[in-house]
Amino acid sequence: MSSVVDPNLQAAPGSEPDVATSEKSMTSAVDREPGAPSDVDLMLGIQSGDADALSQLYDRYSGIMKALILRIIHNETEADDLLQEVFMEIWNQAKNFSAEKGKALGWMVTLTRRRAIDALRKKQAYARAEERLQAEPERQPLAWVENATEKDIEAGDTRVLMAKVINSLPEAQQQVIELAFFQGMSQREIAFHTNIPLGTVKTRLELGLKKIYDGLKELRDEL
Amino acid sequence: MSFEEFQNCARLYVIGALEPEELQDFEAARKQYGPAAEDFINQCYGLHEAFALSLKPAKASNAIKDKLMSMVRERGQGQSGPRSA
Repeated sequence: MSSVVDPNLQAAPGSEPDVATSEKSMTSAVDREPGAPSDVDLMLGIQSGDADALSQLYDRYSGIMKALILRIIHNETEADDLLQEVFMEIWNQAKNFSAEKGKALGWMVTLTRRRAIDALRKKQAYARAEERLQAEPERQPLAWVENATEKDIEAGDTRVLMAKVINSLPEAQQQVIELAFFQGMSQREIAFHTNIPLGTVKTRLELGLKKIYDGLKELRDEL
Repeated sequence: MSFEEFQNCARLYVIGALEPEELQDFEAARKQYGPAAEDFINQCYGLHEAFALSLKPAKASNAIKDKLMSMVRERGQGQSGPRSA
């Protein structure tokens, strides 16, 4: 079964991050140079037509956005094309972003995920993705950990913390969340795809999402 | 719908996993709980961030960035900022 979390970034046993050292990355989502503009500053810059602000936002988040797109559409060339379209949409739709309603990263991720799932469906790759998921051998979390270098883990405190929260879920809950979030499947589609009763799918989704939500809240409260 | 039930639905809503027949009840509860509901939904969008941040960043192409910035600057020549939708 596929996990929600990136294979290369699962927290290795014994390598749990020190939460206190992760404050910087939790508050800014990604590390940035001292004095660098905040995400909100960059969004405000884009809203006022500053192309350099978009350039900086691209440098900061294109890696995360591309990873998200790749996780959904599994094609490098298409992911590059879509990444460009997404940042063009960020430029065009920046006026719809409001810092009062949420973080810039959340807004961008929502937009990126929607575009990637739309692309997946438009290209009729949905069925192929389903087949691939069915044919995909079960990946072992331990193997993923072995692929993550210490440098990866040190550089990705935020990712490891997020991975830790998500990986604490039972695999059955991770599975339905994977299908809902990264494949854009409805509860009925998940039930059909997995042969799990609809009510069970709903319960697993609710429990899993609540645990992740509570975990994140706890993490933020600690910081 | 209790607020706890609303919260469960909200977490499904933000990832687009509410079924159409659930959406109507959800929207009714959203109205019923007003600002508290909106506040909770906004918090739920943090789930998107969490999933994205759990992924290892991929290498993004410099050529794509160059093309993007070229398009943006071309458009900017005729106007002062992002185009209106």
